Amino acid sequence: MQASRARLFKEYKEVQREKVADPDIQLVCDDSNIFKWTALIKGPSETPFEGGVFQLVFSVPEQYPLQPPQVRFLTKIFHPNVHFKTGEICLDILKNAWSPAWTLQSVCRAIIALMAHPEPDSPLNCDSGNLLRSGDIRGYQSMARMYTRLAASPMKG
Amino acid sequence: MQNQEEQSTADGEIAGTCEIEDCANFGGGDDDIMQQQSSVPFVGDKEPLSALAAEYQSGSPILLEKIKVLGDKYVAIRRTRGDGNCFFRSFMFSYLEHILETQGRAEVERIKVNVEECRKTLQSLGYVDFTFEDFFALFLEQLDDVLQGNETSISHEELLNRSRDQSVSDYVVMFFRFVTSGEIRKRSQFFEPFIFGLTNTTVEQFCKSSVEPMGEESDHVHITALSDALGVPIRVVYLDRSSCDAAGVSVNHHDFIPAPGNLPSANSESINPFITLLYRPGHYDILYPKWMGHLYVIESSLCILQAINDVPVMEAAKVILEYDKKHMVARQRP
Repeated sequence: MQASRARLFKEYKEVQREKVADPDIQLVCDDSNIFKWTALIKGPSETPFEGGVFQLVFSVPEQYPLQPPQVRFLTKIFHPNVHFKTGEICLDILKNAWSPAWTLQSVCRAIIALMAHPEPDSPLNCDSGNLLRSGDIRGYQSMARMYTRLAASPMKG
Repeated sequence: MQNQEEQSTADGEIAGTCEIEDCANFGGGDDDIMQQQSSVPFVGDKEPLSALAAEYQSGSPILLEKIKVLGDKYVAIRRTRGDGNCFFRSFMFSYLEHILETQGRAEVERIKVNVEECRKTLQSLGYVDFTFEDFFALFLEQLDDVLQGNETSISHEELLNRSRDQSVSDYVVMFFRFVTSGEIRKRSQFFEPFIFGLTNTTVEQFCKSSVEPMGEESDHVHITALSDALGVPIRVVYLDRSSCDAAGVSVNHHDFIPAPGNLPSANSESINPFITLLYRPGHYDILYPKWMGHLYVIESSLCILQAINDVPVMEAAKVILEYDKKHMVARQRP
């Protein structure tokens, strides 16, 4: 518990220092609870998520950083590896490939990378995965773009 | 592009391969093993070698025969939990116990230099300091604590308690994982062919998926890298069903000897690993050689004798050392 708190505090300081360094990620710690974080990430360019801003919520376990943070999308997103209803993310580093070498910040970077490179073979969103697996790139992209416009457009607030 | 290749098979697969369950139950199979394993402490009690034989009472005669052969050189075994961290955990306990029993201050000073080197390696590889520094600090703390005479010095019993306490034990294991990963990546050209043969992945992928995550099992590559990075020789004794000798069974071992630059004394032929692990396919435990105690005492005295330049006593000590090693002479602790 102490160890995780100390580590998160270091991450907090690092995030303050690096704010300008990564304009695509805005990671914010809850005012009253260092185990709760949220992040706003920009959809990567040349993907159907371009132009969207997606909100992630982090719930950090007491065994952090030996155990991974729980992360999910709060913003609706149409992506094979994100559960359409719950926002749960299927990403190896959040499960069995986690290591303390990752940070909340680098997890955000990995999620952005996942948005650009979906893994349709282990889908949490079957509709989205099936479009890609059947080769209907256009169908996938237009669905994904539509949800980006509907749910992740900064204009709509 | 990938999708076009798969198009032909995709139609048939679509119905059955939605993997929602898969992802939700990620590692579900491991849970059973974990649960089963949680009854075994991270580091067990020292048991006589006969406890090992008892395991195979109704099993393979070759194994029983081999355990008998083991009895010539080894007296005891200490089991570790089979949670994928057993190599690192065995190494941790074996190393710290060795320091505690020998009070080898010279060895502690030596390994600290290597640890600092590992820290620099990780920094130069682009690891952010705060991701690994807590793990380094905790290991260095254990090193200081097993040396007696400090306010924080610990007994053998406390060392065992800490090795069983997840908040210490897992942190030290993770320290070793960082060190191992750093060494592999630093010398990626050397390790590349081994890694490719093992997993068919790049060095970086291997470190990310098979070295750094807790619970990933260790292989030759991990052992070589850890031994090299810390400059600690490791002997691995293999206990499996293989038998090549028609005349009688023998037990193979392999010594992992660090590159000469990392060793306390340059003469690698005389290196006698003080860490001995028993490998059974998929698992490592700690083995205790019969002649443990006094050889270490002599070896550690050699450094002091060398430092004070007492040549005659040093030569005499070397003679005893060579003789006892060669003939496996067991002596009482002084």
